[in-house]
Order: sequence, then C-alpha cells, then structure tokens
Amino acid sequence: MMPIWTKSGEKHAVTLLKVQDCHVLRYVSKEESGGKTAKLLVGGKNVSPFSKPESAHEIFKEAGVPRKQKVTTFNVTDDAIIKPGTPLYAAHFRPGQFVDVTAKTIGKGFQGVMKRWGFKGQPASHGQTKTHRRPGAISTNKAAKVYRGKKMPGKMGNIYRTSFGLKVWRINTKHDIIYVNGSVPGHTNCLVKVRDSKLPTYKDCNKNPPFPTFFADGDEELPEDLFDEEIFQFTDPSVKFA
Amino acid sequence: RVSSDGKPPKFQPPPKPVIIDRKTQKEEKRFLSPEFIPPRGRTDPLKYYIERKDMIQRRKVFNIPEFYVGHVLAVTTADPCASEKSKRFVGICIQRGGKGLGATFVLRNVIEDQGVEICYELYSPRIQAIEVLKLEKRLDENLMYLRDALPEYSTFDVNMKPVPRMAHEEIPVNKLQVRMKPKPWSKRWERPKYNIKGIKFELPEHKMKAAQKWSQPWLEFDMLREYDTSKIEEKIRKELSEELEK
Repeated sequence: MMPIWTKSGEKHAVTLLKVQDCHVLRYVSKEESGGKTAKLLVGGKNVSPFSKPESAHEIFKEAGVPRKQKVTTFNVTDDAIIKPGTPLYAAHFRPGQFVDVTAKTIGKGFQGVMKRWGFKGQPASHGQTKTHRRPGAISTNKAAKVYRGKKMPGKMGNIYRTSFGLKVWRINTKHDIIYVNGSVPGHTNCLVKVRDSKLPTYKDCNKNPPFPTFFADGDEELPEDLFDEEIFQFTDPSVKFA
Repeated sequence: RVSSDGKPPKFQPPPKPVIIDRKTQKEEKRFLSPEFIPPRGRTDPLKYYIERKDMIQRRKVFNIPEFYVGHVLAVTTADPCASEKSKRFVGICIQRGGKGLGATFVLRNVIEDQGVEICYELYSPRIQAIEVLKLEKRLDENLMYLRDALPEYSTFDVNMKPVPRMAHEEIPVNKLQVRMKPKPWSKRWERPKYNIKGIKFELPEHKMKAAQKWSQPWLEFDMLREYDTSKIEEKIRKELSEELEK
C-alpha cells in the first residue's frame, strides 16, 4: 500500500495489484453453463505443472498455456467474448474506472466470539466468575432451540470476500500494475480477482475502456504510466492554493 | 630580485592553495535518506523499486535537503485557510519515521509557552520549501524526551537566521545533556529500552539501579534481529546517483 496525493493536496491510500501472466482459458456459452450470460474461464499466475495431477491439465493444454495456480469465471456478454489463449494485461482497466476486488481473507484460525463477531463480552471484575469473553445467552426460553446460523466461535478468515467500488487511480503498463483505492482483502502477495464494479452508482462510469480487452498487438502504444486526472504527478511543482 | 628604483622589492603574496574537496564528495555520496532503505518483510522488491522511482521524480523537482534528528528546520506548506495561502513553521526535528513515499518527520517548537509538534510528510505536494536552519546532530536518534524536558530546550526563534554550514565538514554532534521536568514523564526514559544518552538524570541511585532491571542484554547478540543493510544501501545509492544525474 502506498500514499497518493490529489491536485488539491489530499492524501489517499492505494493498494498495488500486479497482473501476473493472465490468460483466457475457455469460453463457456450461455446454454452450456445454464446461467444468464456466457462465461469466460481465466487463469492467473504460472505455476509448476508437477504440483497437480495430469487430469487437471486439459484446459491448459487446449488453450496452449502453462499451468496456472488459480482459475476463475467471469460472466460476460456475447459481444465481449475473447478467444482462449489471449493474454490479459493491466491496461484492460483505465484510470477513473471503478472496480470490485475479491480475495481470500487472512486466516485467523479458531477464534472466539469477541474477535469473530464483535461481541462485547463481560466485565473484567465486579464478581464475574470465569466469564470474561463468553457469548452469554444463545437463545430465548420460548424458542426452545438454537437458530441456524447463530453467531458462535469457529474458524475465522480464509474465505472469499469482496470490496466494492474501488477507484482505479493509476496503471503501470510496463510492469502491469493497477493502483486501486483503499484496502483489499487478503495478505500481501495473495491472488486476487479484479472485476468491473457491479454497484448501481458506477454503472455508467466506464468512459471508453478497451473493449473487449487490451490486445498488445503493437497498434496502440500506451505510455508507461496512465494517471487519473486528479492525481498529483511528481513531475509537477508543489501544490499552491490560489 | 633587485628593482631598478632602489626601493625594497614589492611583496608578492604566496600563491593561493587549491583545496581539493575529496572528503565532501565522499560524504555527500555516503548520505542515504533512511526512507529509501526497504524494511524487512515478505513484500515483492518490485513494489519498493516503483516507489523509489516516484521518490526520485519528486526529488528532481523539489529539493529535500540532507537532515538528521536534532536539526532545526523551517518548513513552508500551502494552506487554503491561511492568509497568503502558505504557512511557515520552525522547529527541531525529533523523529524521522516511515519508509518510502509515506516518510514523515516531526518538528517541535514551543510558541508562547505552548509546545507544538507538527508531523510533516517528506513527499507531500503541499510542502513548498524545507530549509535547514541549524545543522547539529544529537546523541540520540529519537528526541521524544524533549516533551518532558524543560521548555527552554525546545524553544527556537521563529525568525532564526540560517547558520551557515562550515566548509562542508562533518556534521557536529551536540553532546547536550538535557534537564527534565519533575516526574511523572510520558515514558520512563531512564529504562534501558530507550537507550537515551542525552538526558542528565537527576534521579537517586537506587531508582537508576531499579530501572536496569528491565535491561535485555541478550538483545544485542540476537542474530535473527540483525538486518544488514550495507549491500541494499549500496545498490540503492548507485540507483539514486544514476537517476539524479539524468
């Protein structure tokens, strides 16, 4: 995470996400998948082929791509279908876009009710016998049962969570890095899924993104760094208020 | 040489000595701002490389002088609320923290009997000028104990004129022993954990001995805590010198 300053002198914290060897693996049509839209399987981060059995290698062999650590699905409209085997780059996103980021949260292991659900616990003194971090009552008398989904101690973390509506501030095309506003679930160097935002406020925010994706054919020559309009670039002199 | 007039020969002064400043060049190259050194951790070094590129960009446009804890600095920042839209603050640097772009330094001064500390970010675009008024290192790297010292040690004149640096010599170390206000202090500065050499402790002997109970003499031999930055520093220095010359 890094600080980033706007032209008015405000500071925002930014997370750096690196796009590492992403390839499109397979196209699944609407009828095949049984959903509302077509799906594209995308894999990220190369990994040695000896870590998993040969039977799982078929997708990668068809696409002609080295074995990937993670395979995710993206729901895609028919006009955004990409041929399997195309690499995906950070330039697929543009500064000013809004993005949802999904990742597995940091695993905390078996945790009690105070850390896991934020219960208040009991006072430390004034006669409490062996009860300082316990949940207390778990149901009422009339219910005569404990409801399903009751908040209780258990394994915390290591589940997929999404942070919605994160602004993309800057993109580095040379190293394939996306600068995303705020924090992102997961530990450092963990695998993350970045998707266009589904929030209704940001429906019309994407101004002419590369559609269906950014193909590095050499036709479009992008500068090494793409900045949002509001970012203070370090090549400018210091901020002055008129 | 005998002149034709018969007067004594005109005094010819000896030729001026040519001073070759080899030491200064070496010293300037040797100073590396502490925020460039990456902390120990599992982050990808690519992140630090990209951050350093941004830091170098900013340093090319705006001059960040070499300064240590104990120097007296004057910082001018842009402020929309102030008249003339800029604020100037003079103070002694008590702490330099943070790594990378978020590096900060805290300036302390006592203005009209009120102690004021302001934490500035080195790379913030609001900062318009940093001037070093007085160059002097202290015995410690963290002068937080000035909060519990007598206010005279933290007062600096707001209109102080910059003291000129004497011929690029080594930065002088001020071995001042500061006198403290009566206890309680914000932290127990007599404890060996803080390792402070710049305070004149006027506490009784038995209290100083009792404070030594918290000493951890095994820490200096702990090999897992060692973080040898010499090689990293050399690489970063090379990178910096190359980029700044461009």
